[in-house]
Amino acid sequence: MKPSLIIDHSFGEAYAKRLGVAPWRGNLPGPKLEEWRFTPLRSLAKIAFTPATDDVSVDAVPRAVPLIAGAVRLVLVNGAYRKDLSSADPGKGVELSHGKVAAKDGSSLVALNAAYAPSSLALHVAGAAKKIVHIVSISAAGSEPTALHPRITVTAEAGSSVTLVESHVGLPGETYFSNPVASITVGEGATVRRYVSVDEDSAAFHLATSLVKVAGGGTYEAFHLGLGGALTRQEIRVALTGENANVRLNGAYALSGASHHDFTTVMDHIVPNCASSQVFKGVVDGESHGVYQGRIHVARDAQKTDARQVHKALFLARGPAIDCKPELEIYADDVQCAHGAATGEIDPDHLFYLAARGIDAETARSLLVEGFLADAVNEISAEPVREQFAADIARWLKARQ
Amino acid sequence: MAVTRETAAAVRDVEQYKYGFVTDIESDKAPKGLSEDIIRFISAKKNEPEWMLEWRLKAYNYWLTLADEEPTWAKLHFPKIDYQASYYYAAPKREKLASLDEVDPKLLETYKKLGIPLLEQQMLAGVAVDAVFDSVSVATTYKKKLEEMGVIFMPISEALHKHPELVKKYLGSVVPYSDNFYATLNCAVFTDGSFVYIPKGLRCPMELSTYFRINEKNTGQFERTLIIADEGSYVSYLEGCTAPQRDENQLHAAVVELIALDDAEIKYSTVQNWYPGDADGKGGIFNFVTKRGACRGKNSKIMWTQVETGSAITWKYPSCILQGDNSVGEFYSVAITNNRQQADTGTKMIHLGKGTRSKIISKGISAGRAENTYRGLVRIGAKADKARNYTQCDSLLIGDKCGAHTVPYIESRNPTAQTEHEAATSKISDDQLFYCLQRGMTQEEAVSLIVNGFCKEVLQTLPMEFAVEAQKLVGISLEGSVG
Amino acid sequence: MALLEIKNLHASVAGKEILKGITLALEPGEVHAIMGPNGTGKSTLSNVIAGREGYEVTKGEVYLDGKDVLDMAADERARAGIFLAFQYPVEIPGVTTSAFLKTALNAKRRAAGQPEIDAMDFLKLVKAKTAVLGMPYDMIKRPLNVGFSGGEKKRAEVLQMTMLEPRVAILDETDSGLDIDALKVVSEGVNSLRSPERAFLVITHYQRLLDYIVPDHVHVLANGRIAASGGKELALELEAEGYAKYLNTAA
Repeated sequence: MKPSLIIDHSFGEAYAKRLGVAPWRGNLPGPKLEEWRFTPLRSLAKIAFTPATDDVSVDAVPRAVPLIAGAVRLVLVNGAYRKDLSSADPGKGVELSHGKVAAKDGSSLVALNAAYAPSSLALHVAGAAKKIVHIVSISAAGSEPTALHPRITVTAEAGSSVTLVESHVGLPGETYFSNPVASITVGEGATVRRYVSVDEDSAAFHLATSLVKVAGGGTYEAFHLGLGGALTRQEIRVALTGENANVRLNGAYALSGASHHDFTTVMDHIVPNCASSQVFKGVVDGESHGVYQGRIHVARDAQKTDARQVHKALFLARGPAIDCKPELEIYADDVQCAHGAATGEIDPDHLFYLAARGIDAETARSLLVEGFLADAVNEISAEPVREQFAADIARWLKARQ
Repeated sequence: MAVTRETAAAVRDVEQYKYGFVTDIESDKAPKGLSEDIIRFISAKKNEPEWMLEWRLKAYNYWLTLADEEPTWAKLHFPKIDYQASYYYAAPKREKLASLDEVDPKLLETYKKLGIPLLEQQMLAGVAVDAVFDSVSVATTYKKKLEEMGVIFMPISEALHKHPELVKKYLGSVVPYSDNFYATLNCAVFTDGSFVYIPKGLRCPMELSTYFRINEKNTGQFERTLIIADEGSYVSYLEGCTAPQRDENQLHAAVVELIALDDAEIKYSTVQNWYPGDADGKGGIFNFVTKRGACRGKNSKIMWTQVETGSAITWKYPSCILQGDNSVGEFYSVAITNNRQQADTGTKMIHLGKGTRSKIISKGISAGRAENTYRGLVRIGAKADKARNYTQCDSLLIGDKCGAHTVPYIESRNPTAQTEHEAATSKISDDQLFYCLQRGMTQEEAVSLIVNGFCKEVLQTLPMEFAVEAQKLVGISLEGSVG
Repeated sequence: MALLEIKNLHASVAGKEILKGITLALEPGEVHAIMGPNGTGKSTLSNVIAGREGYEVTKGEVYLDGKDVLDMAADERARAGIFLAFQYPVEIPGVTTSAFLKTALNAKRRAAGQPEIDAMDFLKLVKAKTAVLGMPYDMIKRPLNVGFSGGEKKRAEVLQMTMLEPRVAILDETDSGLDIDALKVVSEGVNSLRSPERAFLVITHYQRLLDYIVPDHVHVLANGRIAASGGKELALELEAEGYAKYLNTAA
């Protein structure tokens, strides 16, 4: 495939000069790249962003960020760790450090992050972490359009376990481009649960990349929630590198206004005897645009793979768009792989049934939407997080009424 | 597959392609390569009207601008094609045949070998055959009977003279000259193909059939088929393809356009068995085909059924544009790849009208070192209220050196529409195979039986004579894949 | 000469020895029952005779009519006349029972140098056989074993046996999962096939089946060996006393 890249001026010499680093020579992905066909970056490329600085006056975590019971909180403002806003101690089994960003991969967004990320919030997990670690990433632009490049690195040692929550939020009315990268390494027999909520402001761009490696016998359970932003993409690339690794990757989106949200997943089965499942659900209202594209790749050696994927989306109005591309790329014969996809609207029979029980139309719709998204949300095994995410969805539904 | 045992049939050579013979017929060829002169030559040979030549030249000049636009998005790997190394016109030397008696006996012999009953007395009742040999339509049988009913079934080159108004009105109306690299090339250089018009209200009582054959070395075949079903009519059309065995790759870039007006129905069935190349991937047809049907009228229906077992490379997406309200598009496909074959095939269902419905059933079977991709698009336009799509894609892998891929695109812009897509990958289980062996079947019989079962939903949509041939072909195509 | 002769048969699965020297001779017309607790190699014995992949014969011989069976591939054994009625018949989607039967029948006929069966004759034959077995004729139009109840699957096995007319039929736990009515129907089907030219090897865990298919000989399989042989009264004794004493002595 011929790569088509936008010649990008926003992150060149001047940008680098202000950060005092070597300039990034790359380009943002262009519309002719197959992986970006449903999510063009024209609107983003038009804006000249300045680098985020630390000297922004954020003195409290926005109220919208939930307090998760029993969780320890780590706060990033524009990608930089803010000890003053964080809990003192990340809890037993988790070590916190800040390092220079090193890891890169082929994607231009990851390279952009690597070039300009101030530092990486690194969590090192050994043993069973008792407390949920809640990472809050706050974008604070001020008056100028600002770009920020948060970096999170999680290394779970063999046999360890940890539960992470990430909240990505911004300050209202500001234009910013958040380009977070998370590198997650799940060691042998380790368990990482990761729950990500992206609830950006309506003028914000959020293009997140998660790079996950799961070693033999490891378990990675993740849930990603997308509720807003002008343009949000959550790209999650998972490599199952050791036998008997197990991945459950799920997500939901609820969009209104002109929001564009894109879930892109790549599930890479490299070795035999691994399992992965994906359940993604979305509802679209207003003029919004929901995208799901998921690729399951099963390498020649990855016999006995069990890989499944489903995406279902519901229209709540006339006006939104849904694009979906579930993809199977299979090179091993003794495998079980399947995907399903569906789009539609709320079943009028269901609405009528609820009406017949005296429930008004709006309440009935909310109830049915919550029920529809619950298939995905219920995959969250950490109860307080499941409740919190369900509450976030309920709040979204209330706001659209 | 875990089952390993010595089969008597272990040694298989290229002879297994039973259509791999070459007919020794003197032919009339244009010089090699492509230029405006060649296009003028083709047009002059066909004695075409000026507007046709202009259209060809427009396409050719546009094609020149596409030099870097040869599609690369399909999951196919093949060396760059030198379009100047091919002959764009080759015709058996005797032309202007008044009757079947004048057809070169060698040609008739070829068709006999292919199993096409060309001579009327040998024909299966109810199948009218148009045979295209390299670039020229050789004979159309049952002409008279069809004419009496008002059915026009003739080579498109003849239709240009006899029914210019129909050709002019519909040619390029579904696949415009600027559609894609291969279709544009076809517009410039197509030499013949079939033309069908079914008049209002007529249910065509016999199946119409075209058999395509590439015979000449280094020739491309660029046929163009145009089928128009007028209001309330029905036609079932069959297409079969073979080519001799050659070490060089040969190009086949056809265009098929279907138009169904109000309440009309077209059923288009293909059994594609072009030479697939040998076991090491040498030779074989490059099959780049643009097939598209427009359901222009309300309640119209177009149904594609394809059984793709041949060709070294298959790039083909028979599609339906569902414009008329309540129109229906269906696509049933079996694609089998073995050895080094590669297929990237599927469909597009474009829902524009209200209440439009589409159904896609795709069965991909991959064996040897082959690559088999289903690629499909379901697009629901903003005005397609209550549109429905159901898609089912199943893949079967035989052995651990092949690949099977599923790449569906689903784009919906209408809340009242429903789309549903399911795909699964499986293999022939050892238990199934042992069960069949225990009942005395050979390995190959067992595989053929199980794969035919896997494809049943598709095969049963074929007309009877074709279904039997297709079932056999399924078995033959997979010979040597297990063991 | 015995119809089926098994001599000192040893076989292992994944390196583990399951059969540790089985010797058996089935004369034409005889019904032999093999009984034993679970996990003693009953199913292994049937799979080894039928030639399933994954079973390694480490020692011993098996002869059908004096011909070496172990040299043959599974399909050759089947065409030579060995029929295995499976404990768990597999589903083959899209392949009708009728198409399956016809393919199997023709494979056998071809091997015997006979022409393929005419389509009409085939249907007549199936119709007759299903009637004898009290099976609804429509069943043969359904995909093989797909969605069949336990009883239907076993009846379909007997139908196949009836059509293919084997020399030796091995019934692997044919009674499992059957209620008493289905058991009767299946047994009647088997009994109708008993003939002086044919032998049966009936593998079962319970004596119950042997009330309906009365054996000439009963063998107890324990720990991969024949621990005892006797007449049909041995089955009753096992029913009353269990397998414990054979397990102990064999251990």
